[in-house]
Amino acid sequence: MYKVILIDDEPLARQLVRSYLQPHTNMTIVAECGDGFEGFKAIQEYQPDLIFLDIQMPRLNGFEMLELLDEPPAVIFTTAFDEYALKAFETHAIDYLLKPVVRERLEKAVEKWLLTAAAKNSNTVAPLLENNVYEGYQHRVVVKDNGLIRIIPAADIHYIEADDDYVRIVTKAGSYLKKSTLAHIEQTLDPQQFVRVHRSYLVPVNQLLRIEPYEKESHIALLQCGAKVTVSKTGMAKLKTLLGW
Amino acid sequence: MLIVLVMHVFIIHSVFDFTWDIVIADALISTILLSGAAWGIILLVRAYPTTAAITLYALFVAMFISGVTVLAEYEALKWWSDTPTQSHYIKWLSRTLPVRFLVIWIFNTWMATITAFRKNLAAMDSRFQLQADASILLKEAELFKLRQQLQPHFLYNSLNSISALIMISPERAQDMVGKLSDFLRSSVKRESDDNVPIDEELRYIQSYLAIESVRFGDRLCIDFRHDYTDDATIPPFLLQPILENAIKFGLYGNTGIVHIGIHISLQADMLTLSITNPYDPDMQPPRGTGFGLAGIQRRLYLLFARTDLLETQKDGKQYTTTLKIPQLHVQSNTN
Repeated sequence: MYKVILIDDEPLARQLVRSYLQPHTNMTIVAECGDGFEGFKAIQEYQPDLIFLDIQMPRLNGFEMLELLDEPPAVIFTTAFDEYALKAFETHAIDYLLKPVVRERLEKAVEKWLLTAAAKNSNTVAPLLENNVYEGYQHRVVVKDNGLIRIIPAADIHYIEADDDYVRIVTKAGSYLKKSTLAHIEQTLDPQQFVRVHRSYLVPVNQLLRIEPYEKESHIALLQCGAKVTVSKTGMAKLKTLLGW
Repeated sequence: MLIVLVMHVFIIHSVFDFTWDIVIADALISTILLSGAAWGIILLVRAYPTTAAITLYALFVAMFISGVTVLAEYEALKWWSDTPTQSHYIKWLSRTLPVRFLVIWIFNTWMATITAFRKNLAAMDSRFQLQADASILLKEAELFKLRQQLQPHFLYNSLNSISALIMISPERAQDMVGKLSDFLRSSVKRESDDNVPIDEELRYIQSYLAIESVRFGDRLCIDFRHDYTDDATIPPFLLQPILENAIKFGLYGNTGIVHIGIHISLQADMLTLSITNPYDPDMQPPRGTGFGLAGIQRRLYLLFARTDLLETQKDGKQYTTTLKIPQLHVQSNTN
């Protein structure tokens, strides 16, 4: 028996998928959730095999929720999104259903998933998340903090540091680890505000206090929070073009 | 030209002592040639294809025509008065040629400059006209685009809800189809951006809210207050995106019941619409809600050339959006 969770903020939209799935006796819907927070909790609790996921949702959107999961389940997106976003889905072979959801199309998606599920090759979400499928830039970063979900406004970030498989997000309230790459975080944040000054550092421009020469070809930037970060040669060039020095 | 003729006669007769017939012939021929020259200059300058360096061209034309005119005048007068008795006139004529040339040249240059100037002005005028046309077209295109932005998402999500309702409650599905049709009909019908009566706009808003209520079920609660505003008008499609925004903010920041307040009032020449929604100060706004308030601000600017008509205010857990619509036409209707 496959466990399925439906995550969508519109009750009727969940209802529709539920009735389409009724004939599938090998699938059981273990939970229905109205936003990303609930979805995150339910996924951890039930460890489902498949989720139907809307993208625009209250509190935590579909992508943000997936980012927080260490091992995301197989996903079929249900969305009223435009073609732009759909291109990204297509290239990553993850299935999506356009609203209004049609039974025939849902059957195809489920069939396709059953094939990959049999091959135990369900983790196809990661490459999608690596790629920036957001429309526009994020103004927040979502992290897990002792099992809690914390939403960090971009304006509160002092700097972000690479740390092995993780990134360390430093704010005035403390620092948080997130399983991600600096390159990915850099992609989602506004490049007018965040500059990759070094291989290991992503810094908000408004945090910069002063930049001093350090070693040959590198500089040290003093931040408003008191921290010092290394600025590489290419990082310096980026700063110069952005700030128009 | 008659004045030029009379002056010419007067000067030659009073200063130099020639017989009347010679004086008149001299004046007539000079004046006719000068008129011809002026006419030629106007034609030549007007025929110049562009306005680039037109003044230089005009000055050159004036110079050239002046030379030709003086030569023609000399030849014509010499031929006419070619008798031994007039020999001292011809002598005088050739001596005055430089002066004649100077006078004709000044006159011609003046003529040419004016023509060139007029042509320049006309060209500038048509360029301005073109620019004005272009900006009107651009404005219309922009307004159209701004209006279009609010459609697709809403439509697809509504159809999805209808699809679900068909299975669980066919009557409610039919009801929803009716509401959606009402909404779409008024969207399609209103092509222009002319103001519409507030009542008409509110009917449109009601059909929109009815659909949203079905989509979000019990979670959405609309509190509608409405003072006397019968005479007021409003540009169409402004209110709906603001409500859409309020509903999104309200729903996306909360999980319980969401109260959306709408209050409409009319004071003096200003229609005021304020929309409140709950909002969680700890939450960052969801990104990519697309349209947002920037589009409204832009439209208001295009319509009224003002930037102070849309205001937002955060008050604890309430977020208030205030839209003001100047009611200028109310007075003009009484004329």
